[in-house]
Amino acid sequence: MAHRNLLYLLSLKELRTRYKKSVLGWAWSLFNPLSQMLIFSVIFLYVFKAEPPIGDPSGLKNFPLFFLSGLLPFNFFSIGIGTSIGAVQGGGGLIKKVQFPHEHLVFSVIVAQFVTLLIELGILTIAMLIAGNQVLPYLPMMLIVMVLLAFFTTGLALMLSAANVFYHDVNYLWGILSQVLFYSTPVIYNPATIELAALRFIANYGPTGSFITASHNIMYDLRIPGPGRMIQLVVLGAGTFALGAWVFNKLSPRFAEEM
Amino acid sequence: MKPASVLTVDHLTKTFRLHSEKNNSLKQLIAGKKKNKFEEFTALKDISFEVHEGEVFGVIGHNGSGKSTLLKCMAGILQPNEGSVSVNKRMSALLELGAGFHPELSGRDNVFLNAAILGMSRRDIAGRFDEIVDFSGLEGFIDSPVKTYSTGMYVRLAFAVAINVDPQLLIIDEILAVGDVTFQQKCMEKFVDFRNEGRTIVLVTHAMASVKDMCDRAIWLEHGHLAAEGDPSELVEAYTERMLGSRERSDDGSTRRGSGEIQIHTVEMRSDRVGTDIKRFRTGDDITIRMHYTADKTIPTPVFSFAIESLGGATVTVPCTRDVGLIPSTVSGSGVVEVTLKDVSLLPGTYDLHTAITDFNRQHIYDHLQVALRFDVMTGKPYETMGMVTMRPSWTISD
Repeated sequence: MAHRNLLYLLSLKELRTRYKKSVLGWAWSLFNPLSQMLIFSVIFLYVFKAEPPIGDPSGLKNFPLFFLSGLLPFNFFSIGIGTSIGAVQGGGGLIKKVQFPHEHLVFSVIVAQFVTLLIELGILTIAMLIAGNQVLPYLPMMLIVMVLLAFFTTGLALMLSAANVFYHDVNYLWGILSQVLFYSTPVIYNPATIELAALRFIANYGPTGSFITASHNIMYDLRIPGPGRMIQLVVLGAGTFALGAWVFNKLSPRFAEEM
Repeated sequence: MKPASVLTVDHLTKTFRLHSEKNNSLKQLIAGKKKNKFEEFTALKDISFEVHEGEVFGVIGHNGSGKSTLLKCMAGILQPNEGSVSVNKRMSALLELGAGFHPELSGRDNVFLNAAILGMSRRDIAGRFDEIVDFSGLEGFIDSPVKTYSTGMYVRLAFAVAINVDPQLLIIDEILAVGDVTFQQKCMEKFVDFRNEGRTIVLVTHAMASVKDMCDRAIWLEHGHLAAEGDPSELVEAYTERMLGSRERSDDGSTRRGSGEIQIHTVEMRSDRVGTDIKRFRTGDDITIRMHYTADKTIPTPVFSFAIESLGGATVTVPCTRDVGLIPSTVSGSGVVEVTLKDVSLLPGTYDLHTAITDFNRQHIYDHLQVALRFDVMTGKPYETMGMVTMRPSWTISD
């Protein structure tokens, strides 16, 4: 019970301290995806003069909304892991002085990031409704996919943040890896338009690609992902989480010594 | 009946890898071959002891003796390489106050967060919140961010949280010296309360006085080994003696330390009334103290001093050659240093005389003879019943 309390308070700390000392505060968490949306929309629509994907069956043809319905879950994933790595590394003072379950440093980051994601998705929902996309009935399904994504993210965050204690390269490596994942994930493009089969497969069924595609399906296309995709997501979420927890538990007793 | 054991340390060994340079890089991992290139350092070697319920247990040792490592193993922060540590009571280890305080959060939020880190549930914290704030004495500041706190306030709040976690076993590291005197007093009272309530305390400290005063039992760590275990007073005495360096104890009860290039070999005290044999004087006597020394080599600008101390440990006076500008440029061979104290103001009692020869800065000790002589002062003139010295008062009482 006490540890659930710790998780709650750490998450609250994460949320409260994030935008301290900034005038616009929480608005920043919205500016980031909005600015990305603006940049990529200009490039996509006016530089590359590409056609926005058409929602099937929703019929929606709106690049910014397509982009956001993939970007928001991807940012949750990428920022969540990056911040977790930093949180464990930055928690050294605490780890060396107090005995407590170290995984809560990661969990609290993910919880705080998930709260941010829900707020952002709430705003996206409003935008979808304004654009005429009746997304409301699909939101429960979206929540399920996002929870699975959270498990997947937590697993990877546990693994990488623990490894980073021993080899700080992990932190830098993640900077590059998250870029690679961003472009190999169909956030800015429609995977159906890729001609090379191998690349199309990665975009569609790579770990992050699968989650983002599911998110596009639900929010943009207004379509429930098929059972095959859902099974893949459940396996990815549960498997990665279990593996991450195992690695973290193996390594965390040695944290205090290594920091 | 043997009291129940609260904390058992069983054949605990802890080693650290000493990296020549802490090089946490993947390159090293991939290169692989450098992997064996570290030295092992044994911080604790085969330590075993038990702490029983309701006792105050002291851990003493100099810096680097493994105290902190032992503490961290007991607190569960470090994992032992061999052996085990088992704790079967709710434990709170105070290694550093305010670890985990977030500067941007208010005192109130930090109390909740810190207590949660120490393992308290929200209901418990809420129930004790007022007590915590009251103990810290920070009622007016509890909703300000802790970054606006002074160091003293910060420490007080942190201590208040730590002490109110309601542990059955409290492990404390050198934190008795926090805050101002009033707050220290408060902490002390809290510890005494703890002890009286039958809780168990493990105290890791340099403060020998608190070990002597508070502890029921103690262990002494030296270079990672358990040097001794037992009665705190005896242990502290043995430890203090070891720490003061190469001291030798002579048969007359005096102890000696110092580098020894120049040595004090005889110390005498006499007054006109009595000879050198009877170390018994009266208030008002002229006392002459004489120190005979032998220098093995030429010593530049030595400083000779005597110290008179009461049996209670109060230093009464420390006549010193440097203070009067008597600074020989060098001394060598044998010689005598003599000082006369005129019309001595000491009141009746027993006093110890210490002598020392040091370098000019009084940093380096050539020779120091602790309790070179012990002498008595008997009733003389003037006579006073209380105090240690007389200021030769002259009274008038007028209407």
